[in-house]
Amino acid sequence: MISRMLEIGYPQPRFDARSKVTGEEKYALDQCPESMLWAGAKRAGIPHGLIRKIDLSRARLLQGVHAVLTRADVPGTNRQGIVHKDQPVLAGHKVRHCGDPVVLVLAETRDILRTALNLIEVDIEPLPGVFDPEEALLPEAPLVHETGNLLRKAVIQTGNVSEAFQQCDVVVEDSFETASQEHAFLETENGLAWLEPDGRVVLIVSTQAPFRDRFEIGHALGLQPDMIRVIGPYLGGGFGGKNGATVQCLLVLAAMHAGNRPVKMWWEREESSTAGYKRHPVRMRYRLGAMNDGTLHALGCELFYDTGPYAHLGVEVMARGMEHAGGCYRIPNTFIEGRCVYTNNPISGAMRGFGVCQVSFGIEGMMDLMASRLGMSRLDIRLKNALRKGDRNCSGVTLVHSTGIVPCIESLGRHGLWTERGGWKAAAGPFKRRGIGIAAVSNAMGYGRGLQDSAIAKVELTWDGKIRVYNGVSDMGQGNSSAFVQIAGEVLRQDASRMELVQPDTDRTHPSGSSCAGRTTYTYGNALIKACEQLRDKLLHRAALMLSIDEPRGLALLPGRVRHLPSGREVPLELLGRFLPESDRIAVNQFVMPVSQDDINTGKEFKIGFPHVLFAYAAHLAYVEVDELTGKVEVKGYLAVTDGGRVINPSCFEQQVQGSVTQGIGYGLTEEVLVSEGKILNPNFTNYIIPTFLDIPEIASLPMESVEATGPFHMKGIGEVGTNGPLPAIAGAVEDAMGCRIRRSPITAESILHAMRNGRGAPR
Amino acid sequence: MRKVFVPASLDEVWRFFEDNPGATVYTGGTDLLVRMYKGALNPESLICLDRIKELKGVHDMGEEIRIGACSTHTEMLGDPLVSQHLPVLRRAIEVIGSPLIRNMGTIGGNICTASPAGDTLPPLYALQAEVELCSKMNVKRMPIRDFIGGPGSTCLRAAEIVSAVWVKKPVEYNLQHFEKVGQRNALACSVVSLAAVLRIAHDGVVEKAALAWGSVGPTVITCPEAEEALVGGPLSRIRVQVAASLARQAVRPISDIRGSEDYRRSVAGNLLMRLISAD
Amino acid sequence: MKFSFYVNGQQTQVDVSPDRKFVDVLREDLGLTGTKEGCGAGECGACTILVEGLPRLSCLMTVAQLQGCHVTTVEGLVVEERLHPVQEAFVEHGAVQCGFCTPGVVLAAVDLLDRNPEPTREQIREGLSGNLCRCGGYAKIVDAVEAAGRKMREGTPQ
Repeated sequence: MISRMLEIGYPQPRFDARSKVTGEEKYALDQCPESMLWAGAKRAGIPHGLIRKIDLSRARLLQGVHAVLTRADVPGTNRQGIVHKDQPVLAGHKVRHCGDPVVLVLAETRDILRTALNLIEVDIEPLPGVFDPEEALLPEAPLVHETGNLLRKAVIQTGNVSEAFQQCDVVVEDSFETASQEHAFLETENGLAWLEPDGRVVLIVSTQAPFRDRFEIGHALGLQPDMIRVIGPYLGGGFGGKNGATVQCLLVLAAMHAGNRPVKMWWEREESSTAGYKRHPVRMRYRLGAMNDGTLHALGCELFYDTGPYAHLGVEVMARGMEHAGGCYRIPNTFIEGRCVYTNNPISGAMRGFGVCQVSFGIEGMMDLMASRLGMSRLDIRLKNALRKGDRNCSGVTLVHSTGIVPCIESLGRHGLWTERGGWKAAAGPFKRRGIGIAAVSNAMGYGRGLQDSAIAKVELTWDGKIRVYNGVSDMGQGNSSAFVQIAGEVLRQDASRMELVQPDTDRTHPSGSSCAGRTTYTYGNALIKACEQLRDKLLHRAALMLSIDEPRGLALLPGRVRHLPSGREVPLELLGRFLPESDRIAVNQFVMPVSQDDINTGKEFKIGFPHVLFAYAAHLAYVEVDELTGKVEVKGYLAVTDGGRVINPSCFEQQVQGSVTQGIGYGLTEEVLVSEGKILNPNFTNYIIPTFLDIPEIASLPMESVEATGPFHMKGIGEVGTNGPLPAIAGAVEDAMGCRIRRSPITAESILHAMRNGRGAPR
Repeated sequence: MRKVFVPASLDEVWRFFEDNPGATVYTGGTDLLVRMYKGALNPESLICLDRIKELKGVHDMGEEIRIGACSTHTEMLGDPLVSQHLPVLRRAIEVIGSPLIRNMGTIGGNICTASPAGDTLPPLYALQAEVELCSKMNVKRMPIRDFIGGPGSTCLRAAEIVSAVWVKKPVEYNLQHFEKVGQRNALACSVVSLAAVLRIAHDGVVEKAALAWGSVGPTVITCPEAEEALVGGPLSRIRVQVAASLARQAVRPISDIRGSEDYRRSVAGNLLMRLISAD
Repeated sequence: MKFSFYVNGQQTQVDVSPDRKFVDVLREDLGLTGTKEGCGAGECGACTILVEGLPRLSCLMTVAQLQGCHVTTVEGLVVEERLHPVQEAFVEHGAVQCGFCTPGVVLAAVDLLDRNPEPTREQIREGLSGNLCRCGGYAKIVDAVEAAGRKMREGTPQ
């Protein structure tokens, strides 16, 4: 079989597809060395309390128990956290949520581990808990941390909002609330760790941030980061939930007590739910003002982000949310106030759509409301106000990069699903009602100001003439590493059979940041192009030497060889590989993502992660059918028009769009972490309802290919933007069908039936 | 070490019971093994009935149909007797869990789990099915409504198994209807379900009706008042609405994470409205 | 206790507790890590295997149940380095993202095409509805299964 040439713009099969489809690919979870021990945590089980006594005696006596560890065994600060170091590795004095780990056990088998954990008795004196972000800010609220429950209050403002509202012809107000969402990756948090004879610790772990993990572990456990090697194979899903330490610190602590044996930790589904991170629940109050012609003029917005007991990336998630609170619209006067609040609920953290999913529900709901108040079409009001290059967004940042939301909306408006919607709507069967909703959304790329968003790419001509890419940024399934192979193949003009790929390993690859924020292909890809060009120039020069040609003009890299085009003479890459010393076969280069150059005098509370200057955009359309008897909503059709710059791989682009829309539909209709007094009521796949094959319609995806001049081959990251559209589009469609707006996500059958019975949209 | 016995005949089952009177019986494992592996259940020994041929298959017994308790849902879906005579049951089985669950789970298991949300139960109640109980010395039949006492509770005794389900061919009905409301379209636990079998005359008058609801009470709920309200006239909106309000009075739902009491009560009645458009 | 069965055509013996979860036997005792476990409750389908040709959830089976049985795991679909047409179609049609659901979905699809060589898209969705894909790759999986069906019907040599 002739191997395909790797070229940009073609739907190449993913480089990892073959090994995944055969089951050969080894995920972290697939590491099961015979000699391994199992580690597991005893968790608090109550949301707030003081640890009085821990009885380990029965567990210690159990045969097959290797070690039983508590806070006293933790060297270092015992505090983990990506930015804010507030989360204990093992709780010693106080527990702040049900999932806080209190005891760490190492055992010979998983069964013994389970038995041992059941034999441990932790006596906790319950403290009153706080489970509502606004109640947490009352003076009499119990304190989650001694420093107070307000983790961060911040304001983003532009213009003069109070004057502006007075100038408006129409002002509308509403409030919204979104639920907590699970990442629900199929491969739950896990890893394997062991001590090397030289005292270094090695982890093979399902992580989105192998390089940063070293510092988080080092800080928590008092280790030098260079004593920690993190290997990050392909992840069985991440979506933000493996950004930041999950098993890492506990696992290294376990390895330190495992006597050079490897130790495995694997959170079961229920533990993943209890202890893992979630999407922040957010409460929003909106006020939007416009002129009679539909021109938006003023936005007021108050947001409450419930971060649970630990910050994780709560402040950064809120920053991103506030930055998108005005959507992708030109609103000259804004006042956006956010509070990120500690509670005793499960830990909220990073998740695909990072704070933006929530505010997209808010601002898009307001746009629908404004449209109906002004008697404008939902499409027209969006188009009229959509940001264009050169505009300032709601944070005051000037958009100097590709800004394709207008063509996205226009393209949606021309699509048959929009133009033919009336006929479809009218054809609803008995007891069914149909509606159509749209949403215009954006999502910032990269870390934003204050934290350099950079990647270092390394590419090698191997001694046997292959091209090997050293990927430094985890592939959690989004296919970034496959894109890297495609990029290297394009620049070096190779086919897939001549490519090799190394996945992140802090000993072998270079720090390239975390796999998140729509940054992976953009940042690393840019670095890789530079590294590949460097290697190409080098190979041409060395080939010229071997061919005794004066200068490398007329030489071309071809699959497996360099040819001197005028003479037709060739040097095989194998020969070059053997001819060159190792240090000469390598090229390393780096790239730093641009940041906003505006001197905006707002959002000063955010030291990092604000503002952003690069955005992906999308316009979404949802067809829904509502059953009048049950309230059940089904999404019957979906269109996503996405501006991700130029498309490197149309197949992978569709994967990202369809995947994010699917998660967004789950978020819109069924997904909610149900929490009562800090306890999760649905910590399993039986009751946490994610979409199946039968719940997702055909999803049409159209690329709107703007040219992002700074992107690798002019691309932008679109991993997140698609998650933001479905909830508001579905909410709008439900309103179109039923005449009632649901302001709380998810939009359950019950919430619709309830709204119908309260007088709006009763069965015909 | 927990024993797991996988007998090939009933005789072997009885012998194993003699030595292990506390043994727990399972077939598909889609309920029991989930709970056991999650640590919620700790049976001292297990008997898996998966390989006992006598407990499988659907048989035509004249006026009745006998379904072996260990027939999997998939096997029943492929059986012509079920399709021909028991479409209401077939429809319920089609929406159980997923194809994978249906390959493993059995009708006997669905009955013995006695979940208020058990998908086969409303059709079996509506059809007045009987459960065949078998022990070493005895085989007996019992109406399913007597067999199931409450959530997870049956009158199955030690060293006794459910060996079959008997259903009278519902020749007196000409309309069979089933609907399950779940939170998604596969892998869904029923929030409310309705099985309805009716005889409708040529002029549209309902002559006979049997109705049964799942997930709206500790066991399947039936409502003779609603049935009576339907009989004697056509399936008009006004008549069905009367039956629906009687049904809402009869059900005894609870609130749980899948739905509130109020929602279940409303929908239990609403589901009858679908009969207007059913054919 | 000793149990023996056939895995991908090879007679295999293990000496384990009779109630050991079969997916653990495959992954930990036999090193066949192609079979995944995602929920341990039969809800995700990542642990799907074929037992006597029929898809089953290996997280809900005791090893004792498998005594003497013929088991196919994803590793058994590749013959002499040649992918099964379903696997090939998954590669070609972008049906693989994180890949953790993939082995289970592939096996369920092999069985589906076995029983129904020309399924509609709706029948494919229904047939695979016990397998969750959290990456949301459903549409492309349906594309791939359709394509695999076409290819298998045509009997195109690979």
